[in-house]
Amino acid sequence: MRIRDVIQTSWRGITQARARSLLTMLGIVIGITSVILLLSIGTSATKLLLNQVQGIGSNLIFIVPGATKGSRFSSPPSVQGVVVKTLTAQDTDALSREGSVLRTAPEVRGQAKVVFENNDTTVTFEGTTADFFLVRDLEIARGAAFKESDVLSFNRVAVIGGTIAKTLFGERDPVGKTIHQLGKEGIGPFGVDQDNLVIIPITVAQKQLLGIDYYNVLLIQAHPDYNISYVVSRVTSVFRQTHRITDPSKDDFTVRTQEDALSLLGDITSIMTVFLTAVASISLLVGGIGIMNIMLVAVAERTREIGLRKALGANSRDITEQFLLEAVMLTSMGGVVGILLGSSLVVLLYFILSRVLPTGWFFALPPTAIFLAVAVAALTGILFGIYPARQAAKKDPIEALRYE
Amino acid sequence: MIELQTVERVYGDGALGMRALQGVSLTVLSGEFVSIMGPSGSGKSTLLHLVSFLDTPTRGTYRFRGRDTATFSDAERAAIRNKEIGFVFQAFNLLGRMSVYENVELPLLYSSLHPEERRAAIEAAVLSVGLTEKLHLKANTLSGGEKQRVAIARALVCKPSIICADEPTGNLDSVSGAQVMEILRRLNEEGHTIILVTHETYTARYGRRLVTMKDGRIASDERVAGHASAGLSK
Repeated sequence: MRIRDVIQTSWRGITQARARSLLTMLGIVIGITSVILLLSIGTSATKLLLNQVQGIGSNLIFIVPGATKGSRFSSPPSVQGVVVKTLTAQDTDALSREGSVLRTAPEVRGQAKVVFENNDTTVTFEGTTADFFLVRDLEIARGAAFKESDVLSFNRVAVIGGTIAKTLFGERDPVGKTIHQLGKEGIGPFGVDQDNLVIIPITVAQKQLLGIDYYNVLLIQAHPDYNISYVVSRVTSVFRQTHRITDPSKDDFTVRTQEDALSLLGDITSIMTVFLTAVASISLLVGGIGIMNIMLVAVAERTREIGLRKALGANSRDITEQFLLEAVMLTSMGGVVGILLGSSLVVLLYFILSRVLPTGWFFALPPTAIFLAVAVAALTGILFGIYPARQAAKKDPIEALRYE
Repeated sequence: MIELQTVERVYGDGALGMRALQGVSLTVLSGEFVSIMGPSGSGKSTLLHLVSFLDTPTRGTYRFRGRDTATFSDAERAAIRNKEIGFVFQAFNLLGRMSVYENVELPLLYSSLHPEERRAAIEAAVLSVGLTEKLHLKANTLSGGEKQRVAIARALVCKPSIICADEPTGNLDSVSGAQVMEILRRLNEEGHTIILVTHETYTARYGRRLVTMKDGRIASDERVAGHASAGLSK
């Protein structure tokens, strides 16, 4: 049978049962659309997350007290809530003599309730030095950051985040006002909304609010002239010296870089992508089974036609080709519609999310998603078309002709 | 051209099997018009199916143009059905949503005829059954007699040597039936070998040889008077 004839015959089969063909395609359309949409969302979300992490500052190294055991997914004990008191002023002194380190900013954290007139809110306060604003590359919207002299003389000043300013002062200018602090709570978790932060001199936080003499975290800004991994190794050896550690497996601190965080994030997002792809594949599988189901119905319904074609000289291969091509054509058309629909939804989503989300949204229509969608659609057609097509070809012409 | 030797066809297995044909031997020469008669269940349709390669014998040999058909593959049998045999069914078996043209075109889809020669072949076949003006009508808008004539055109289009007709007048009124039989007689005069299965004596008289069957065996096989049997060959 000529290719053109096979195509024409299959096309006739599709168009003669229009409603059935459209419903069959719908399963594939939904599957392909969700593959494209989910992969696009996964890619955009990944970009967004990476962008946020990169926004913390540049060339950053974090020192967290306590050693980290196990994989890089496990967190150091201090993060898990264990109080480790090994990070002290001794370490910052030692680091200040290290040439590859540009700046160091120690941090202590706690939670407190802050009050202004009748307004109050619970915040995470962060005690640190004046260098912190440089290391984190923070901009002061109004007023000024505190200075090293404020830190040394225990001055009770604070830099507050936008959210807090709004809660406490409303539309009024908070600069120069006095806020009060009530009670204290323990050290809060890592990672808080940056706008919900109160930054105060570390001396005030340590001696007057928390009553401690250790740090929770050391933030190090590497000297831009040095390679970051070199700086990490320098910092590590400085810490081992000050802490008198000779056996590296007995380190009582953890060094993390921004790259570590980024690569960890990369792992998380690729797991997310795999997960989303799996979900989308299931919907494609359902679409494929729909195709198989409908094709089996079509084969049964057209038993007499199959018998007739065989009697007129069609061999098993001709019949297989006809029905297989019908399935492939249905899935291909469904695939094209799905790609168009999925892409339009991605564009629509971009316009909505980039306006609604405060962080913005990235446009991503990865070519791999489209390629994957096409490949899967074609494969679905062949895979789920073979069985019904074989059933059709196996039919005995006489029995098929007798079929009512 | 057709030689059956002690052919049996059993449906089902072993002792419980239904023996539709029990040792049938039949030779049909090129150019013959054979009518096969018999009551229902006598095996006449089974015999026609075997001859036209729609079915295979359980035992015995079937030689077609001198070749033993036992070794033929599925594709070879399909090719013979396409090129050598035109089949006309009692129930017409047209594809109702397709036009007359498309119905007649069906066997050509499976033939090696070049697509450019198709139109001429289809038009010639439709002309020979007198339906040229209905070429582009849908098959399900035709009358029974017209449908059967389309079916004959479809059987003719690949220029087969043999036309097998299974009760072609069974679903038709007597006028349409006579028209169909006249066409078959004319085709026989033009050189086609015709094998006709019928249970109507009137229809069977169109043949030049009458084979009667009973209980899966050939009961009689005779020349019908008044017809010349010259010009026949194996």
